Formats: sequence, C-alpha cells, structure tokens
Amino acid sequence: MNLPRMAWRNVFRNARRSAVTISAMTVALAALLVLSGLIRGLYLGMERDLVELELGDVQVHAPGYRNRPSIYERLEAPDSIIAPLEAAGFRVSSRLRGSGLAAGAKESAGAQLIGLDPARDATVSDIGTKVAEGRWLEVSDARGVVIGRKLAKSLHVGVGDTLLLLSTAADGSMANELYTVRGVLGPVGDGLDRSAVFLVQQTLRELLELPEGVHQLIVRRPPTVPLLDAKAAVVAAAPGQDVNTWKELMPTVAQLLQSTEGSMMLMFLVVYLAVGIVVLNAMLMAVFERIREFGVLKAVGVKPRTVVALVFLEGAAQTAIAVGLGLLLAVPALLYLSTTGIDVGSMSAASLGGATFSQHWVAVLDRQTFTGPIGALAFVVSVAIGYPALKAARLDPLEAIHHR
Amino acid sequence: MSDSAQPIVSLRDVTRTYAQGKTEVLALRGVSLEIFPGELTVLSGPSGSGKTTALNLIGALDRPTSGSVRVDGHELATLSRGELSELRRDRIGFVFQAYNLVPILTAYENAEVVMALQGIDAKARRARVMGLLAQVGLEGLEDRRPDEMSGGQQQRVAIARALAAKPAIVLADEPTANVDSETAEALLNLMEQLNRELKVTFLFSTHDPRVMARARRLIRMVDGRIVEDKVQG
Ligand SMILES: Nc1ncnc2c1ncn2[C@@H]1O[C@H](COP(=O)(O)OP(=O)(O)O)[C@@H](O)[C@H]1O
Ligand SMILES: [Mg+2]
Repeated sequence: MNLPRMAWRNVFRNARRSAVTISAMTVALAALLVLSGLIRGLYLGMERDLVELELGDVQVHAPGYRNRPSIYERLEAPDSIIAPLEAAGFRVSSRLRGSGLAAGAKESAGAQLIGLDPARDATVSDIGTKVAEGRWLEVSDARGVVIGRKLAKSLHVGVGDTLLLLSTAADGSMANELYTVRGVLGPVGDGLDRSAVFLVQQTLRELLELPEGVHQLIVRRPPTVPLLDAKAAVVAAAPGQDVNTWKELMPTVAQLLQSTEGSMMLMFLVVYLAVGIVVLNAMLMAVFERIREFGVLKAVGVKPRTVVALVFLEGAAQTAIAVGLGLLLAVPALLYLSTTGIDVGSMSAASLGGATFSQHWVAVLDRQTFTGPIGALAFVVSVAIGYPALKAARLDPLEAIHHR
Repeated sequence: MSDSAQPIVSLRDVTRTYAQGKTEVLALRGVSLEIFPGELTVLSGPSGSGKTTALNLIGALDRPTSGSVRVDGHELATLSRGELSELRRDRIGFVFQAYNLVPILTAYENAEVVMALQGIDAKARRARVMGLLAQVGLEGLEDRRPDEMSGGQQQRVAIARALAAKPAIVLADEPTANVDSETAEALLNLMEQLNRELKVTFLFSTHDPRVMARARRLIRMVDGRIVEDKVQG
C-alpha cells in the first residue's frame, strides 16, 4: 500500500461527492481551455497580421523620418544595409513612401503611396496575398496599382478603373500621373484600408523624381533569432539609422498583446474561485468524516507531512481525472475551432489600437493554450486543499481517536 | 523477571491532571511502575481509575503533568513531536478499543501500514504480514475490508498491525471491550500465545474480571493510583 493508491481509493469512498467536485473542475477547465485557445488565437492572429502584413519584425528609417515623414529623409545606400542582413539569413524589402491625393472620376482622398518590389516584398510581407478583388502588383505592369478597400469605396473605383495620383516631386514640382487599379485589398489594418496605394517601386520613383534611396526597410528575422537580437543585428548593419522593432512601432498593441497572458490568468483564477470553494468544501467534509481514522494513523506513527501529502494526493487524483475529462471535452472543440474557426467577417471592421482582427478567427492549440488553464486549476485546487490538509495534519491523535 | 534486564517502560511519580471547567481532575496521582521485556501485564481497575490515561502516556500520545515516563530507553519529555511520532511508529504497537482500521484498506494493507511507513520494501512486508495474519488466525481473509469482518477479526488485524513493525511493546486499551465474551476469550488466548511464542511484550487494560483472572501480572488501579501489583500463578 502506498500513498497514491490510498489517495486514489479515498476518492471513490464518497463517490457522489467526488463526482460533484470533479464535474465542477471539468466543466470549468473545459470552458477555459476552449476560451484560452480562442483568445490566444485572436491575439496571436493580431500579432501575426501586424508583423506579416504591415510592420515586419524590424524597420529601418532615416533618423527623423518617423517623426516627420518627408520624401527627403531617405536611406541613401539601402543595399549596404540589406546585403549583410541577407547574408545572415534575414529577409529585407525596401519601400519608397510618399503622400498625396488619389482621385477617381468624382471623388478624391488623401493617400499614402507605397512603392515596393513585388518579388522582394513577398519575402517579408503577406500583403500581396490579401488582394480581395483583382490581382497584386506586377513589375511588368508599371502603371498598375493596388489600393486599400476603404479608399476604393470612398473613391468609387474598382479593378480596371483609372486612378489619378497627385503629389509633390522631389524638386518641388507638381507630380501627377494616371494609373490603373489592378487590385483592391481585403481588410489589412485600418490605416492601410483607408489610404494605401501600392505601386511598383520604380513607378513611384519616377512620379516623385527620386533617383535613389528608400524611406523604409522592412526586415524579417530568421525564425530562431529573438526579436531583440534581430534588432541588434539590424542596428549593426545600419549604423546611425532609426531602427525599431514592431513592438516599438506599435507600443499600445504590443503592450496589449503582452498583457494577455496576465489578464487571461486573472480570468482563470476568477472562474476557478467557484471551483475552489467546491473543492474546499468537499475536502473539509472528507477530512471531518475521517478524523478518527487520521487519529489512528497519526497514533501509529504517520507524520503530519504524510497526512498533508495524503490529502493533497486525493485532491491531485480528482484534479487529474478532471484534467483528463476536461481535455476529452475541450480538445475536439479546439480542433474544430483551430481548423474551421469562426467566421467573423462581420466583425472584421473592428480594430484594436490600429490592428485588425483577422477575418477568420481560429483557435490556437499550442502548449500555452493548455498550460494556462491547467496550471491555474492546479494552483487553485492546491490553495483550496491547503486548509483541510493542514487541519488533518495538525489533529492531535488522542483527541482525534476519541472524536465522535 | 530478572532484575538485571532493562525495563521497556518505566514510570516514576507520574501525575496527570485534566482541567475540566474550573475544577481539576486528577486522573493519575503519582504512579510508578516498570515493565520488562516479555511480560504480559494487565492493567485493571474500575472505569475512571486512570487506565487509559496511563496507556496514553506510555504510548507517547500524551505528556504527564509531572513525573518521568521512559520508554525503550528514552525520556519522553526530551523528545520532539516528530521523535515521539517515530518512537510510536518503530517501538510501540497500538490496539485501540475500536475503529482501529482504515476502512478503505484491506486486512493485509491495514496490517502492513506501519511497515510501509518505515520504508520496508514490499517483498519483506509481504513475507512478514502474511505470516502474522496467519498467526492471528486470519489466513484467507487478507483481502477483506474492515466492514467485511467481525469485530473480533478486526481486532486481530489490529494486533497483526501492532506486531508488524516488531515493537518493543504492544499497548492495548480494553481490546476486548467491544466484542462478545467468546471473542474476548479468543483474543486473550491469542495475546497469550503471541507472548509465549514470539516473546511479545503486552500491556493491556481491562475492567473485565474474567480477563483479570487470567493475567499473569496484574496491576490494579483505583482513583489514579496503583493499589496492587502482583504476579499470579
Ligand atoms: N480528556 C480528558 N479531559 C478531562 N478529563 C479526563 C480526560 N480523560 C480522562 N479524564 C478523566 O480522568 C480520569 C481517568 O480517566 P481514564 O484514564 O479514561 O480512566 P479509565 O480508562 O480507567 O476509565 C476520569 O475521571 C476521567 O473522567
Ligand atoms: Mg479507559
């Protein structure tokens, strides 16, 4: 006879009470596992969209550009930055940026002009895959542009329509050209949705009369390199330039994502509070029913810490059963939600600190999806069992034996 | 008893008072006694005479108000709670009046509990416990739970458990009080036999005159004092 086996048998001693306790744990755990997967999916989706669609991991600008974007604040020799980074396994794409006015047949609106090399840019950003109508940029189609969906709507232009872009060229002269809309993006983020006009980089270079230099480098790190190490590598490759991680570029969103774990833990603990009360109550009853038995055990030499271990093991056994059942309930639901997901098309306009929810909300099933809810349950159960366990351990054997 | 042997139990001027409301109950009023290896001693006396109190003190379950209690060479007053617990585990066997056993454990498991606590390996435990259960007349009942056994059988399991750890002394507080006279007789025979064959030292209490009559050494208590201590033929 060993303690775990003894604890296991004690669980079935008052089967109905244990069933109630285990059910309470199971239901709460299953619900929180599903919720955990969904929330992690939501936030990781937001983070992924931000990094993969918009920001990259690290960006490089000329000093001062971000404070006051101006076409004159350029990185003059981008290739000298790009080459060493690519040699180290980074992927880099340069972007030329400007601002101006975009006009359709009747309406006009402010626009941010983004010039990129489609092939190179595809290595750092998925933006090219987010075209909802038409197609993405092609180098061979110099006059083709792709625009944000809200811009398309407000200008009443669609695929095939002509778009007039007005801007100020580097020499101060008025720049204006006619282009053809080749694609309209799906939702990719509020700013881009409202104002983005993507052009082939050479085309924008000609419009703005900027023979050389770029405004922005978007860098993606190799998967094994931590973000801060990646930044350090970029700083080394771009001395004197303004280098920022995506977290520095969007601090509010980064903070929000950072605090998810903490706020999820808090939510778990609150939900488990009720479970903790059930467990506390059940274990107290279990201890009080067996005072005489604990007394005999202590009299024949069982030490207080062994009594504590026994009571804890009984809680652990019930928790283990609940974890098994909870996983049995939650994993199929999570598998469904992680593959099929929830269509939140109607919600996709919603944005949080400038980041957009993905259209398709899928749950994430990774280790953390499980460790959070299970860890919090174990914690709450341990706390709830502490008091009954100490109570049992501190029993005076004589008083306990004569307890009626 | 040879006078040269060391006593297993030695009480000297032991008193124990209980506070009961404002009054004090003098449960023991200066008790001195010695118990030597191999003895089978019966502590007798009317209800309330202090038998249980004396056994609890010897069993390291209670501390005296004054006086000295030595068990197996240890002055109990000098031992910590943990050391007392170890002394009970390793050197003292207990048979209580009733409800001795853990309900979810089988006869076998109840009997081996103390050995398991001592960290003795399963094989050695099995050999000893099976032998003891046979010795106390429970062969074939090893897998019974307490609620599947009679009161007498349960007391036999308790005796086997008490013996399993090879204690210096087995203390039994009115072990026959909750069973019929036939069973009491059988339990008494068993303890005599174990005393004779295995040289187990027994100290048990009773207020049953028939049990007293069979005691080899009989200590009689009245009002917290020993009034007689004799070896009977
Ligand atoms: N825990 C206690 N609190 C108060 N009085 C007690 C307690 N235990 C025993 N007594 C008193 O001490 C005296 C001796 O009791 P006890 O040792 O149980 O006698 P016995 O076992 O011979 O019947 C009795 O008067 C009893 O009422
Ligand atoms: Mg008594």
